[in-house]
Amino acid sequence: MSDRLRQSATLLGFALIILFFAVRLPDTFLTARNLLNISQQLSMLMVVAATMTIVMVMNDFDLSVGSMASLAGIVAAVLFVADWPIWAALSAALLVGLLGGVFNGILVAVIGILPFVATLGTLTVFSGLALYISEGTTIFGRDIPAEFSGFARGGIPLEALGLERLKIPALSLVAFAVIAVTWVLLEHTSFGRKLYAVGGNREAAHLAGIRVVRVRLIAFALTGLGAAGAGLMFAARVASANPTQGAGLMLDAIAAVFLGMTMTKRGEPRVLYTLVGVLMLGIIDNGLTQLRVDSFIREILVGLIVIAAVVVAHVSKRRGK
Amino acid sequence: MTQLAFSDMSKSYGGTPALADVSLTLTGGRVHALMGENGAGKSTLIKLLAGVVPADEMRVEVDGKPITLRTAADAHAAGFRFIHQELNIVPQVTVAENILLGHAFPRRFGFAVDWAALRKQASDALAMLGASGMDLNAMAGDLAADDKMLIKIASALVAEPGQEACLYVLDEPTAALTGAESQKLFAVIERLKARGAAILYVSHRMDEVMAICDDVTVLRNGRHVMTVPIARTSKAQVIQAMTGKDVADAYPPRASAISDQVVARVSGDAGRLRSLFFDLKAGEILGVAGLAEAGQTELLRLFLGQGRVAGGAEYAGKALPRNPAEAWARGVAHIPQERRSEGLMLEMAIRSNIVLPHLKSAFASLRAETRDTLAMGQAVQMKMEGPEQDVGQLSGGNQQKAVFARALMGAPKLLLLEEPTRGVDVGAKWEIYQLVRELSAKGCAVILTSSDLPEILGMCDRVLVLQDGKQTAILPTQDLTSADLVTEFYDTESTPA
Repeated sequence: MSDRLRQSATLLGFALIILFFAVRLPDTFLTARNLLNISQQLSMLMVVAATMTIVMVMNDFDLSVGSMASLAGIVAAVLFVADWPIWAALSAALLVGLLGGVFNGILVAVIGILPFVATLGTLTVFSGLALYISEGTTIFGRDIPAEFSGFARGGIPLEALGLERLKIPALSLVAFAVIAVTWVLLEHTSFGRKLYAVGGNREAAHLAGIRVVRVRLIAFALTGLGAAGAGLMFAARVASANPTQGAGLMLDAIAAVFLGMTMTKRGEPRVLYTLVGVLMLGIIDNGLTQLRVDSFIREILVGLIVIAAVVVAHVSKRRGK
Repeated sequence: MTQLAFSDMSKSYGGTPALADVSLTLTGGRVHALMGENGAGKSTLIKLLAGVVPADEMRVEVDGKPITLRTAADAHAAGFRFIHQELNIVPQVTVAENILLGHAFPRRFGFAVDWAALRKQASDALAMLGASGMDLNAMAGDLAADDKMLIKIASALVAEPGQEACLYVLDEPTAALTGAESQKLFAVIERLKARGAAILYVSHRMDEVMAICDDVTVLRNGRHVMTVPIARTSKAQVIQAMTGKDVADAYPPRASAISDQVVARVSGDAGRLRSLFFDLKAGEILGVAGLAEAGQTELLRLFLGQGRVAGGAEYAGKALPRNPAEAWARGVAHIPQERRSEGLMLEMAIRSNIVLPHLKSAFASLRAETRDTLAMGQAVQMKMEGPEQDVGQLSGGNQQKAVFARALMGAPKLLLLEEPTRGVDVGAKWEIYQLVRELSAKGCAVILTSSDLPEILGMCDRVLVLQDGKQTAILPTQDLTSADLVTEFYDTESTPA
């Protein structure tokens, strides 16, 4: 009973927030245009948060995703400048993400450094690399191929539904695809089961025949890959690459997973609830922007809402015991 | 002698009675056993005595005078002391500090700890136990299990002015001790008796209770079943009172022959383990015994790839598995000693816990997992609400059955059992022994460690004895007595320290 209440408290709060904005912004908030716009704005965060969920299932986390996103964008841009074909530049950038993730995985799973310390270190390393490769400048203009940035402006037109001049943004579709793949991975594969087992009790999982080191290594690699993907999406959207443009993603991604954890049965991370967490953060941000709330105040409010949700979940869970 | 009368104790949790109208009278200088299966109400009764949960109803009289007992402070003031089963000492601090833990440290100038006085109080408490020889400045974590238990008891003995202890409650004190270490504890209990204190002794170990207790009270389903002097009852009668059914013998006999097929063969040294030389046949149950931490766990875990044998070692005709993953894949199943920390994901579903080592295909099927969980749950007679219930919500015995269900699911060829019935009640123990016998009849070889010697003698065909990591004997258990076996644990050639 109290579990039900705990699980639905966050969702109820979310519904109230939507209702509030819908009443205050009757003409602009609950419109197809605005919602599609939100989905595009949130697409990078969705990808990072979904893949962050993979490591957080094991009680690990990855602080380096933001700077990995920046690094991947820069790598692709630099290769564009060097006249690499688009597919090769993108593959190379994704490979950098995968290798960066493997490096995190080696530090955490093989050597046994706490994820906080290890990924804090690689956060700085990746960020330094991005600045070094780009020489600290933004790469933009004619160096970025039109096909690359054009992809981010494309999408599936919705004229058939009578919504003229509207389309489902391509980046949103990418994000939904990543969430779907992550969902299948976590909920419907043996690998996902093993991840949750490692999160439940690492020593017991090891003795029950789970190759804990390998599982953790793969998980970190996937998180790195997701971060690089998000970095490329960002670069495509703004048609440029800046060595610090991914910086905000890490905190929001972790906050989204935490918000999601307040809604699940046992308080464990689940990727669909992470998606709800991302939508909450994005919708609050969008609504407050439209209400012309100062962006600094917005940050304070978002932070307080995350804390409130987690506190309510924590207190009601303790009571339930 | 002090008379402690607890009458009409009742306690319900959310409408479910955990204890109903139970009365208990304890007398100074006597050891009173409290027995019952898991869930019979023993823990609730102890919590009422300790004042940690409020009773719905309870009257307490000390020598005919009523006292109130509502809080832990009341219980302490009344002179009740509690020693619990887990050895929760603080390993990083000294023996003396551990003994004084939970007491006010003696002070100097009102703020500085008076270390000399602290050590004096600690050594007085140890002296009462006849353990004055212990080094007060040693780190508690470096001690053997029996010395750790002594520290906990000493902690309950620390003299506090004006507060003479009149009741000691020992909750499964031997759960973590080997046979020889338990003997030391029993000597301590004799001393406490001699000081005129009443002792309430909770244990699942029948032989122990029959040996050291004067009276026994049996609870079943929260109700009082009987109270009799030990001298006027028998093991069978107590077990019958606890379970409500007749139990012919505590261990099911071997019903099938052992085959000639050799499953495993080990000879040589492996780290701390020396002079290993044994083979294991399909269907055979081999016990591994010795003093605490003589290398029993290490020996079992050789088959999980922890440690390398320098010499010859094979399992199923090939080298030993290199890690637990390979071990499970090759038909080795393992039940670890620490069920909660090494065995289970407590906050996960029973289903997730049972199927874990058997996830083979890339995609997982919830339907197949649920079907397997229900089938295995039935095979081990586990009581659960459903496959999605958290395993941590089950009773100790049912948690152990969940670990068994996991092991049995892969139809193992070699089963490694570490302390398989620790903290498990009599009824569940019997069912677990039956499972082991059934597996053995199917040709599964079993290696079993236990600090419960009757269990080794009752279940195993042979027993391998370790002395500080060295294999010193391998004996058939037929006609072997506990006393013979304990003698084997000690190095007879050098003089004991």
